[in-house]
Amino acid sequence: MGALVIRKLLLWMPFLFGIGFIAPLTAQTMDYWNISAPFGLSSLVFGLILGGAWGLYANIKGRWV
Amino acid sequence: MDRPIDDLTREETHDDLPLGGEAGLIEGGVESGAADRSAFEWRKAPELDRHVRIRLRKDEREIAARWMADPKQMRIYTVVTLGCFAFWVALFPLCMMDIVPLWFGFAFSTFIAAVGYVPSHEAMHHNIGRLGTKYHFWNEAVGQVATLILIFPFSMARLMHMHHHYHCNHPENDPDYTDGADNWWKAWIKTWLNRQPGADGSIHHYKRCLERIGTPEAHIALRDTMLLQLGSMFFMFALCWSGYAFEAAFLFWLPRHLGLSYIRYWLSWAPHHPRDGLDRYTNTRVFRTWVGHWMSLGMQYHIVHHLYPGIPNHATKYAYYEMKPILEARGVDCTPL
Repeated sequence: MGALVIRKLLLWMPFLFGIGFIAPLTAQTMDYWNISAPFGLSSLVFGLILGGAWGLYANIKGRWV
Repeated sequence: MDRPIDDLTREETHDDLPLGGEAGLIEGGVESGAADRSAFEWRKAPELDRHVRIRLRKDEREIAARWMADPKQMRIYTVVTLGCFAFWVALFPLCMMDIVPLWFGFAFSTFIAAVGYVPSHEAMHHNIGRLGTKYHFWNEAVGQVATLILIFPFSMARLMHMHHHYHCNHPENDPDYTDGADNWWKAWIKTWLNRQPGADGSIHHYKRCLERIGTPEAHIALRDTMLLQLGSMFFMFALCWSGYAFEAAFLFWLPRHLGLSYIRYWLSWAPHHPRDGLDRYTNTRVFRTWVGHWMSLGMQYHIVHHLYPGIPNHATKYAYYEMKPILEARGVDCTPL
């Protein structure tokens, strides 16, 4: 059971990576360089949209680019 | 001695040498016909008279015996590896508190990610401490920590590396066969492509190999890999969401990718290109590179390692020059060095 849960998590790892890594990295990079997000979004929300979408793309297509 | 002095190839296990030691770790049996099914002609070492072969092998073994790993001399590997690992772990709080600049942490982490495979590799072959000796604990300790930055558990690394030795260049059974590429720049690109989520290369290919092997050791390696991958990812996620995304990126994520590409290129593609030989004298090539001995991690002399894995990496150069006349007699192209 435990192994199955881990396997499922790993299967969704690109998406989780988008949310867990790319999103906060994007937000902190924007804050560091004083770049504001479009449409009045906060940098974290923008990071979540970018990271989530990119991770989902990687999950579906099997590659990041 | 706890294992045969030299590496065993498929042909020899059917010939005059027993299967044992390290080879016992590996999936047994030989699948016939890889060479027969291949679309191209496999390079073969020249046929020699049996008496000549025996004499050459005897001379070869005498030279190899002089360069085998001495556990006392190998202690430096243990000290440096454990020291570097401890410093890498310490870099996280040191960089978070701005005691050490992040650029330095990034440079150091990238260095140990690229070079850390070398001591791990020695540990895979028990060169730091043989089984049953007091040094064996340190051998395993070095193996366990050296490639953590690569998210590459020792159990998987050892099993896959033994498999690579036993099935070197075999299209289906050599776990590193997917590193093959036509030229150097394609090889660099492939190191990255092979790590894509849907690719069948790198660690994805290793997982498939382990599932196919199906031994208890393979199941342990698969379990370790899953746990390490998951643990590492959540460690990075926790750092990022705590406001330390730069530290996660420059001390772990980016060094790992740079290190993996460097290792894949220099330790897999460069010494085995073009992967057109299956026997012990043709499965590895001797080559010269402008980056030199240290930057190529001593891989120019990788043939010595495949012949005698008990010779540590730093000694393969010296063993090679002593063995050179024998290797030439065996048909190895030694002209580059």
